[in-house]
Amino acid sequence: MADKSLDKETVIAAGTRIVGGVRGEEDLTVKGRIDGHIELTETLTIEPGGVVQAQIEVKSLIVNGVLVGNARASGSIRLGEKARVVGDLSAPRITVAAGAAFRGKIEMGEGGARPADKQQVADQAASAGAAAIKLPPRLAPPSRAGAAPTATLLAPRVATAPPTRSSGPPSLPRPDAVGVASAPAWSKKKQLRRR
Amino acid sequence: MANTSIGSSIVIDGEITGEEALTILGSVKGRIAVAQSVVVEAGATVEATIEAQSLAVSGRVIGNVVARDRVEVRPNGRLLGDVKAPRIAIADGASFKGNVDMDV
Repeated sequence: MADKSLDKETVIAAGTRIVGGVRGEEDLTVKGRIDGHIELTETLTIEPGGVVQAQIEVKSLIVNGVLVGNARASGSIRLGEKARVVGDLSAPRITVAAGAAFRGKIEMGEGGARPADKQQVADQAASAGAAAIKLPPRLAPPSRAGAAPTATLLAPRVATAPPTRSSGPPSLPRPDAVGVASAPAWSKKKQLRRR
Repeated sequence: MANTSIGSSIVIDGEITGEEALTILGSVKGRIAVAQSVVVEAGATVEATIEAQSLAVSGRVIGNVVARDRVEVRPNGRLLGDVKAPRIAIADGASFKGNVDMDV
């Protein structure tokens, strides 16, 4: 109970909910829920499972849970890969990890990032992009978007071409069947020319 | 492990509800209703009605208290308000003003 580490920082545990305003000059970790507004001179961390529905004004913000509301940080905002955020974000430095879900506006105002930071952000973005490709189906939006066109390209040829040969329904497949029929001939010619 | 702790520089204006134990080192104004214990540490200020399993006061509390188990005002604690609990302990050096209801 009398953990020194607990005494130093403020933690809102998983089963706890605060409705109203929270102000302070120290770090605040949310595993439970806060509804209202939060004003801190230090870091606000929303852990996985934590829910914050509030106007936020802090030095820095780290989100790995759910945030609904606008947030302004004088330092940085970081959306982790488990973040689910709806709201407008404003801070000199903002990073969004691959996997984070976000809807809202991002504003990196107040002079913007310094060149070194920009490079860092670019590096992080690049690594995030690389990570996105390797990531499992949970992160589907990019991979699904990539998979969909190939599926639609393949589907008509594979599915509708055989029925036309075996006197299938003449309505839709016609133009496609022509395409399928002519394509191999053309490619055969090309192959012959090469030989 | 997963207790709620309100640090010494934190000011909360509103309502705290929860299933976990609550330790307050800062300032809370409004209402507190938790299923487990509430500890108001030395230096903390609470202006709220409190509902809890138990309450221990080393700081200052202004407000009515209902505890299902016990209320304890420790040596440097100050409690101003009505208290309803089966067991109430007021230590030497503590200050208390209010009604006591032990449900007898």
